[in-house]
Amino acid sequence: MVDAGLAKDAPATAERSSFLSVAELSLVYGAKGDTPVRALSDINLAIDEGSFVSLIGPSGCGKSTLLRIIGDLLAPTGGSVEIGGRVPRLARLNREIGFVFQEAALLEWRNIRDNIALPLELRGVGRVERERKADELIRLVGLEGFHSAWPRQLSGGMRQRAAIARALSTDPRILLLDEPFGALDQITRDRLNMELARIHEITGITVVLVTHSIREAVLLSDSIVVMTPRPGKVSRIIEVDLPRPRSLGSRDDGRFDQLVKVGNRELEKGYHDV
Amino acid sequence: MSSLDAARAADSTALRKLIAPNGAFDQIWPPALTFVVVVVAWQALIRAFEIPVYVLPAPADIWLAFANNPHTLLSHSGITLFEAIAGFVLGSLLGALLGTLFAYSPVIARGFLPYIIAANTIPVVAVAPIIIIWFGHGLGSKIAVTTFLSFFPLALNMMKGLQSYDRTVMDVFHIAAATGPQRFFKMRLPSALPYVFVGLKLNVTFSVIGAIVAEFVQADKGLGFVIMTSYRTLAMPRLWAAMVMSALIGIVFFGLIALIERLVVPWHTSMHDQS
Repeated sequence: MVDAGLAKDAPATAERSSFLSVAELSLVYGAKGDTPVRALSDINLAIDEGSFVSLIGPSGCGKSTLLRIIGDLLAPTGGSVEIGGRVPRLARLNREIGFVFQEAALLEWRNIRDNIALPLELRGVGRVERERKADELIRLVGLEGFHSAWPRQLSGGMRQRAAIARALSTDPRILLLDEPFGALDQITRDRLNMELARIHEITGITVVLVTHSIREAVLLSDSIVVMTPRPGKVSRIIEVDLPRPRSLGSRDDGRFDQLVKVGNRELEKGYHDV
Repeated sequence: MSSLDAARAADSTALRKLIAPNGAFDQIWPPALTFVVVVVAWQALIRAFEIPVYVLPAPADIWLAFANNPHTLLSHSGITLFEAIAGFVLGSLLGALLGTLFAYSPVIARGFLPYIIAANTIPVVAVAPIIIIWFGHGLGSKIAVTTFLSFFPLALNMMKGLQSYDRTVMDVFHIAAATGPQRFFKMRLPSALPYVFVGLKLNVTFSVIGAIVAEFVQADKGLGFVIMTSYRTLAMPRLWAAMVMSALIGIVFFGLIALIERLVVPWHTSMHDQS
């Protein structure tokens, strides 16, 4: 599903077959200053449509930076990104990108339904259509009965459910999640992971998840991109061959522990020079 | 019948809200009791020690100064109220515009803010004569002094408020391809509203002060004029009555803004209630 490094040998094949392709991507901060910082170096990824990919690595490895470049929140200094054959900017303008951040970042002055419908409102979609879509998403993420609640009245987990619904409101083709459950307790986190797996299953959307939990990555992903810092680059891509659909029971599979071990060993490499 | 039940339920919830711990009743009785105790003690002390009326008039004397000629005092209060409101509205509009300009242009903010802060530290009594020379002896000059005094708090709070938005929310708007006006009206302005009301409440106080100070300097009507003429003739109960009127204007005006805040920023005021 993911093909790193090799893409350089056969870029044409990668471009043809993959939905999200990252080619020779690099980001250098302060290129004009005296000590430029290389945040990302020579990143190559080819991700199929509908797959679930996790980016994992120690802090400073640039996983969030990479995600922000894919989401057109940041411009690279070299290389290219294509989403369904479009540069991120065009994909974003064409409503194809959904982004979920670590904080829910809901507007406190809007109820849950109006928060979820916000991207549609900003795109000029009419009220009736907006509310129909918001109600549909409220059911999808399990927030029934909270249409008119204020964000402040919701727990952290419920706020993130609303944030996911908001990201899905424009029917994007790719969902980018930047450590969305990092601030939640373990039980809530497990539940939301399963919700995410279910949403991925139902909608068939391509998902890129930034996480620092290898167990979370193994549980959810088709492939795991392990990154190392200074400069941020891809050290290995681990294919996860656990059967789908996944459930919390997938963790009892012997293969699960094996993959976690492989991932941990790879991750530790990134910590060697810290 | 069901509507009657609903009405009854609403009645009882309203009543329950009123008498609930920290409800309206709990909020009102302590200051009301303080008021009664102070007025009674004041009156009693003046009787007991026979304090001359020009040193400290008794509450009854102040009330009589008002009640003997309520129409005059009320019409002077009306003039001051009008000046305060007009200056408040103009000053707040000017402040909101400047604050927005500063929030969007750090260069302009850096260029002008030091001078605006400096201008704001000049005592208004020094500025008032200049403004009166410029704007004449009518209401216009009083409104101009009030405007001068009451634009600054909102300008500063508007700027702070517009800069206080959540950076992640800005990212959400970016992903949704929001336009500049959408970012302003759907994100930055609503996030700024709690700050805006802090500025407006300060402006309210300053606008009443501004109107009265301007009347001190030169006027033939208004509460400032009443205070000055009462002082010259040592009509102290009348001076105290005018002072009470000016306080009442300030309190009512402030309460009005606080009420509007509750309606416009319910998510913020409800936050205060919970804490």
